Amino acid sequence: MRLLPIAPLLVLILALLAGCATVTKVETGEQAVGARLVVSLEGPWNRIDAPGMGPAQVWTMEGLPVDQLLVYPGIKNGELVHASTGGSAKTFAFRSSMQPHEIVAMFEGMMTRDGSQFKLARLEPASFGGGKGFRFEYSVTRRSDSALLSGVAYGVVSEGELYAMLYHAPRLTFFPRHRGRVEQMARSAQLRAADAAALKASSGGGKRDCMRNPVTGMWTGC
Amino acid sequence: MPARFARPAPETDEGGLWAIMDREERRLRRSPFALRDAKLRAYVQEIACKLAGEHCPDVRVHLVRAPLFNASMAPNGMMQVWTGLMLRVDNEAQLAAVLGHEIGHFLQRHTLERLRDAKARSAFGQFIGLFGVVGALAQVGALAGMFAFGQEHEREADTIGTTLMRNAGYDPNEAWKVWANLVLEIRARPGGESASPLFATHPPAAERQEALIALARDAAGGATNEAAWGEHVAPYRHEWLTEEVKRGVPEESLALLTRLKERSPKVAAYAWARGEVYRLRAGEDDLDRALEDYRAALAAGGEPPEAHRGIGLVHRTRRQAAEAKASFARYLEAAPQAPDFAMIKSYLEELSL
Repeated sequence: MRLLPIAPLLVLILALLAGCATVTKVETGEQAVGARLVVSLEGPWNRIDAPGMGPAQVWTMEGLPVDQLLVYPGIKNGELVHASTGGSAKTFAFRSSMQPHEIVAMFEGMMTRDGSQFKLARLEPASFGGGKGFRFEYSVTRRSDSALLSGVAYGVVSEGELYAMLYHAPRLTFFPRHRGRVEQMARSAQLRAADAAALKASSGGGKRDCMRNPVTGMWTGC
Repeated sequence: MPARFARPAPETDEGGLWAIMDREERRLRRSPFALRDAKLRAYVQEIACKLAGEHCPDVRVHLVRAPLFNASMAPNGMMQVWTGLMLRVDNEAQLAAVLGHEIGHFLQRHTLERLRDAKARSAFGQFIGLFGVVGALAQVGALAGMFAFGQEHEREADTIGTTLMRNAGYDPNEAWKVWANLVLEIRARPGGESASPLFATHPPAAERQEALIALARDAAGGATNEAAWGEHVAPYRHEWLTEEVKRGVPEESLALLTRLKERSPKVAAYAWARGEVYRLRAGEDDLDRALEDYRAALAAGGEPPEAHRGIGLVHRTRRQAAEAKASFARYLEAAPQAPDFAMIKSYLEELSL
């Protein structure tokens, strides 16, 4: 019997349980995500890092798998938008020539690789990162637990690279609770010029501390 | 045909298995993945009942939204029929071939033997997963229903299924076509059959197809009820095709959609869906092929509004403003409630600058 690749989210959870994942606090205020994307946060987030994760930074307020913010800090042409699982599993890669519709279809494919269901509620033009981007709202029925999630996402293609953020959470409580800060974060997003980003990167990164989630109590003492 | 099964004693392994399946069935009834259409469910239930004969009261059909080829029958009588299977069969007889095969496993109680084998191999969780809510999806992909059991059990179920089809008045000659159509998709995958380990551990595709042809030879004739089938599934065709396009396996989808399009050239939705797959794959010449398919959908008439959007998107990619504008305008006119209305409207404005 063939086993399909385990969903990246499951890998993350297993990594957390195995103690090989780290949780760090993303502080309030201006934060650089990758080389060019800068966002301003009205409150702190938890950032999850684990081996074998995809190109997006994974942030959460409530803890995985409750809610998830994927931040894509510049995906290059041909690069996968999820962790590479090897074998003959289907993959979804970004192409610089993609229009917003195709980018949404790519993310939809990524989110339904495990049999979850996705429904697009709205796709519209929106400014993101200081550029002419797009915004979409969606719902997901998660296969693993049949949970109904709502989501909102922003994206822009700049200099052939994809910058995007996707947030989804259970639709009744958690999505309404955090939607405002996600929208605020998206509105604050700016892209530095490529040469300025290179200069900033050469000057070193900032300090990050662990954080205890006040609601779930997950991932303390990391 | 064996007599109806009594519920096994709860302290036996079979009784425990029934209890687990009862729980899964309760979950399935509540699941958002359940397709709750009383008319369609009753129609499929009736087909299952014709096949199951006196076991009909024990068979409970559940339609499941999942874009893969699969049907399964648990030992307690819970039968799952996935929408991906319903998209792929051409008529009632082909669906009956798959359901008859699953009822064959049920009548021979193959699941119980498999349970004992799974316990011996410490694979119990994987086994139970096959029958859970959309259970097999993450485990065996598109071929769950056809490979769930060992070689001998599959052959036996094929034989019983053919007999049940004949008894119910269906043409058994449709059974091998289901298999052949499925193999067509598998062979279209990058790597072909060798990419599927299932082919290595089960009767070769050609052998199984030949066996089904031989079984039908002795019992030729019977109904296919293609018109009735088409009428019942037509309201769902666009939704199921949309799910197929989203699967992200363009080679398999193209094999399926090419077959469906050639079989029913007047159904605009098949041409549209294949055009979508080409557009999203965007390989060499794919945008030309997409345009050709979208135009075929328009020529067939009754095309989904998304065919106009597809034409517009291809022309926008190629910076052909006039053609893109005309198609986007038609899309917005045909689909004023579309979720991407604002985005397309912005394209129109941008193209008018």
